[in-house]
Amino acid sequence: MSRGQRILQRIRAFELPIERFVDIDAGRFPAVFMATRNLSRSQLRSALACLGICIGVLAIASLGIFGNVLSLGASDALGDIGNQVILTPNADAGIETIDDSTLTEIERAAGDTTVVPLRTSGGLIEYAGSSTAATIYGIAEPGGVYTASEGRVPDRHRQGALVGASVAEELDVRVGATITVDGDSYRVVAVLEEVETFSPVSPNDAVMLPEDDVGGPGYDQVTIEADSGAEAAAAASAIDTAVNSREEVVDIFELSAITDEINDFFSLLNSFLIGLGGISLVVAGVSILNVMLMSTVERREEIGVLRAVGVEKRDVMRMILVEAALLGVIGAAGGVIATIGIVALLYLVAPIELWILLHPTNAAYLLLAFAIGVAISVASGLYPARKAANERPVDALRS
Amino acid sequence: MTAIELRGVTKRYETGGHTVEALKGVDLAVDAGEFLSIIGPSGSGKSTMLNLLGLLDAPTEGEVWLDGIDATRFSDSEATTARREHIGFIFQDFYLIPTLTALENVTVPTVFSPGGPARDRAAALLENVGLADRLHHAPNELSGGQKQRVAIARSLINEPNVVLADEPTGNLDREIGERILETLREITGQGVTVIAVTHDEQVNEYADRVFALLDGVEQ
Ligand SMILES: Nc1ncnc2c1ncn2[C@@H]1O[C@H](COP(=O)(O)OP(=O)(O)OP(=O)(O)O)[C@@H](O)[C@H]1O
Ligand SMILES: [Mg+2]
Repeated sequence: MSRGQRILQRIRAFELPIERFVDIDAGRFPAVFMATRNLSRSQLRSALACLGICIGVLAIASLGIFGNVLSLGASDALGDIGNQVILTPNADAGIETIDDSTLTEIERAAGDTTVVPLRTSGGLIEYAGSSTAATIYGIAEPGGVYTASEGRVPDRHRQGALVGASVAEELDVRVGATITVDGDSYRVVAVLEEVETFSPVSPNDAVMLPEDDVGGPGYDQVTIEADSGAEAAAAASAIDTAVNSREEVVDIFELSAITDEINDFFSLLNSFLIGLGGISLVVAGVSILNVMLMSTVERREEIGVLRAVGVEKRDVMRMILVEAALLGVIGAAGGVIATIGIVALLYLVAPIELWILLHPTNAAYLLLAFAIGVAISVASGLYPARKAANERPVDALRS
Repeated sequence: MTAIELRGVTKRYETGGHTVEALKGVDLAVDAGEFLSIIGPSGSGKSTMLNLLGLLDAPTEGEVWLDGIDATRFSDSEATTARREHIGFIFQDFYLIPTLTALENVTVPTVFSPGGPARDRAAALLENVGLADRLHHAPNELSGGQKQRVAIARSLINEPNVVLADEPTGNLDREIGERILETLREITGQGVTVIAVTHDEQVNEYADRVFALLDGVEQ
């Protein structure tokens, strides 16, 4: 006996007496009853067709979730920068700084958003014999924008230095220490919390001083922080009309432009991945079509008898569609379970945060893949079902 | 009272450019409770006639009447309903569904009806044909004669007015054939019309009337 035959024999040994195979209430669900019995007849073939759908659903769901996890991770890293607008003096027009009157106009136009004017320079930070280069910001009201990991961020910044997380770590600076910034001494009033999201004004490698201690007059940059992308866009256009109507005084950069582009990229990536999975589902659909066609051709006479003894066309059709749907449901459920297994494995081996994996959009991908799997199976059953139902019983029964 | 009737029926088959005239102006009226056998050599049109009587096919010319209703131009769905409600079929090759038990096979004509499968009636019918101890057996666990008896029970599940049988004793030995013919004879006693197509002389012993067919014409 060959290996293949042995395996087949073992599979056959699992076949249960027909009546005890799934006991469906024939009275309430006649089509399901007939369909489960039909599928029990060629279990290996049915199982292989299910496997096809299972793999297709697995492909769609896991690729979809994979893309979604990447996208969620990226937008998490980007944080809220889509809510920010950066204003800089228009160097092309020879404007070097944003002056006080322009700032007032900006503040008036910016509505409810937080307006943070900044002066920027760079310099050497020294403490206890070691030194590092850092960006130096002059900022009047840091309270609304930054939080401290040690010490307190003052609402109005009049004296002392706020030290960014990386700088503090490098120089081993703590609150209360006195550091030298570009030759001047400052007491450290706070060490800022590390900011992990991407930001145009990153505090990590910076030291923040009172506004008057850095450069001036005027500002090198004004950051607008809104509560939403829409609010940011409204503020940007209001500022544009208020400030730039006569002359292009400030360059306005909406960071939502970046996030939009990144989101576009990820949705393209995701469509591509799902498309790949979709191809395998289509292949699986063809295999269901093939299985159903084979099974209806084999059962041609049986179906002819059903029609002869008074079973309506639509009932024959329903019965065969239910068969295809059952193959789809079993296969798709297998695919969903396999996907959950793979995602769990991914969590164990890759540094992915749990909340990203448990995000409801991932469940949506699972559901979508399941629905597509079942829909493709039913669609693949349509042609065999119509063909079988429309055959005249005389033709089917002529021996 | 006439249960089923053919009036001047002609059936032509068009195949590959030429025409076969399988029935040529056949008239037949069968009474309720009558046992009619249709005999004739191979190719004489017996099966064609049975298909017309069973509303499985429509005549080229002439009319088919069932229970005083002209069924000639029934739509597919009307014919299906009429078959389900009035006609029982016994096929030569039994045509039982291999994935259903004997009992379930008998209920097949009623499976999709609103009342659901008539299991109790099916069990009673199987008892009547002597298969009380085989209700839950699959067809491949039954002998040829037992399968044919299941097929007879199935033909009676819908309480038909007419039972149509194509070679009901075809592949069975003489003794079993006799039992089956007796069963058919019995049901005519309940007013059911039985029309059996056969090559088998034995059938004629049980029939009230023999209809002989030759080349599509009554002899
Ligand atoms: N679907 C069809 N297409 C073409 N010709 C057909 C068709 N069905 C039957 N015929 C022809 O009609 C004639 C009668 O056929 P029918 O099957 O009725 O004969 P029969 O009496 O039942 O024969 P048998 O005893 O061999 O079953 C035959 O010549 C047959 O070839
Ligand atoms: Mg014949």
